[in-house]
Amino acid sequence: MINVLIQGLALSGLYALLAVGFTMIFSVGRVLNLAYGVYIMLGGYMYYTAVQVLGLPKIGGFAFAIASGIAFGVLTYTILVRRLEDNPVAVEIATLILAVVMQSLIILIYRPVSKSMWPVVQGVFRYEGVFVTYNLLVAMVVSWVALAGLLLFVRYTRYGRAIQAVSMDRKGAVISGIDPRQMNLATWAISGALGALAGVFFATYTQLNPSMWVGPLIVAVAVVVVGGIGSIIGSLIVAHIIGFMETFTTALIAAELRGVFTMILIIVVLVVAPKGLFGRSEL
Amino acid sequence: MKRQSMALLEIENLEAFYGRARSLHGIGLEVEAGSIVGIIGPNGAGKSTLLDSILGLTKAKGDIRFDGTSIVGLPSTKIVRMGIGYAPERGHLFPFMGVRDNLLVGAHTVPKDAEKNLATVYGLFPALKSRERQETGTQSGGERQMVSLGRALMSRPRLLIVDEPTIGLAPKICGDIASALRRMNQELGMTILLTEQNVNFAMHLANDIHVLETGEIRLSGSAGELRDDPQLREAYFGN
Ligand SMILES: Nc1ncnc2c1ncn2[C@@H]1O[C@H](COP(=O)(O)OP(=O)(O)OP(=O)(O)O)[C@@H](O)[C@H]1O
Ligand SMILES: [Mg+2]
Repeated sequence: MINVLIQGLALSGLYALLAVGFTMIFSVGRVLNLAYGVYIMLGGYMYYTAVQVLGLPKIGGFAFAIASGIAFGVLTYTILVRRLEDNPVAVEIATLILAVVMQSLIILIYRPVSKSMWPVVQGVFRYEGVFVTYNLLVAMVVSWVALAGLLLFVRYTRYGRAIQAVSMDRKGAVISGIDPRQMNLATWAISGALGALAGVFFATYTQLNPSMWVGPLIVAVAVVVVGGIGSIIGSLIVAHIIGFMETFTTALIAAELRGVFTMILIIVVLVVAPKGLFGRSEL
Repeated sequence: MKRQSMALLEIENLEAFYGRARSLHGIGLEVEAGSIVGIIGPNGAGKSTLLDSILGLTKAKGDIRFDGTSIVGLPSTKIVRMGIGYAPERGHLFPFMGVRDNLLVGAHTVPKDAEKNLATVYGLFPALKSRERQETGTQSGGERQMVSLGRALMSRPRLLIVDEPTIGLAPKICGDIASALRRMNQELGMTILLTEQNVNFAMHLANDIHVLETGEIRLSGSAGELRDDPQLREAYFGN
């Protein structure tokens, strides 16, 4: 039982990191970035390429992954989203198409087979019947550090406050001399970085394959829908609800069902509390 | 080219559009440096549209010069950086941020002066200092109006533009707002352009008054002149 709890906690930490980049974009730009799963996939594949193909050190793998996440986020925003800004539905369709295109590209380059990744950290933590891989523990700690950093940045720095300002009142931000497009761009870059970082751990937790962007995207959408869309703290709480739910489902019912419950949760919340459990749409 | 006796803000033949509907039909007015200018007019006259247009927030045609430079068509953020502060209708505050953070956002363009300007704002509105951490979404209308003025002040603009500062406020609070605006004008040397439906408030505070109706200026003059104007008395004081 303790084991399940610790597994749940570790997985939730990873999910929180998965979701928060998606949440930020929704909160600042008011659009769902359905290409978000691609940052996660890209993070995994780039780390794999750097470390397992090119033989670079792990730190190089992370740098490579994060840089590609940032680049892809910035490109998605400047090439696609900025032009469609006033039309959220168009953004959602375009980003979904982009995700599918990227999936094909990955298949073309890396073949359609799954590849297994070496864990970032080897070994298993065992103590009194508790066993968790060090890899998942490290993922959890990295998530917490990244999320704490994000929270501090958003709350206590000039640019963080400017990003919050755009998310809470665009006109109020503009008349304070803040350019919403600049803050959107920064948000997409941060989102890409967080997604790619999460992707490295997600890929080591599961496997690398060209459709791996779907699962994390559903988790991210669930966090936004269930959490009431937008606040960082709300996202953390919901990521833990989903993480624990999936861990318990896997442990007590069947591993195959864990994603299903997440989707059922999305639908139930949409019907019962369409504004989400925490109902506030700002960062 | 700067002329000798130039007003700080000069508006000529300004038209503004929402979609294809035109809601300002050729406005012209000047705001002299150091003065307080009031624009009065009923609901829907176009007061907010006029102010939004100065900040570059509407689709506008015509000419607006700030300190001799034409600002029509410039991005709003640039206009703000040139030295125009705006306290818009309904405040547009950041509801889940505390008072202090709201004010700090106002200093986005002048990060080095943030602390100094914060002290200035707290000097004008001591009530805000004791509620630094309160989220503005939970505050009263009067407090929010103070935060709104304070936020506009945080960049220490040369021209402060205020949309209906007394709307929905109790008379006592209106008095506080009036004295704060007067202090900004006299002690901080700020030029002020404000709109009002509260004619007495505007007459009391402003040097010059313009009467705006259905997107046109009907009447202009000094507050003293207009106070006795029969047309205005009939329209706004019912006698
Ligand atoms: N966003 C908008 N879209 C379309 N028309 C608008 C919009 N905002 C204002 N208008 C129209 O423009 C005209 C001027 O409105 P405006 O809000 O500037 O008046 P106002 O003098 O500020 O009124 P109030 O005293 O109620 O604030 C009105 O006819 C109004 O219906
Ligand atoms: Mg108005």
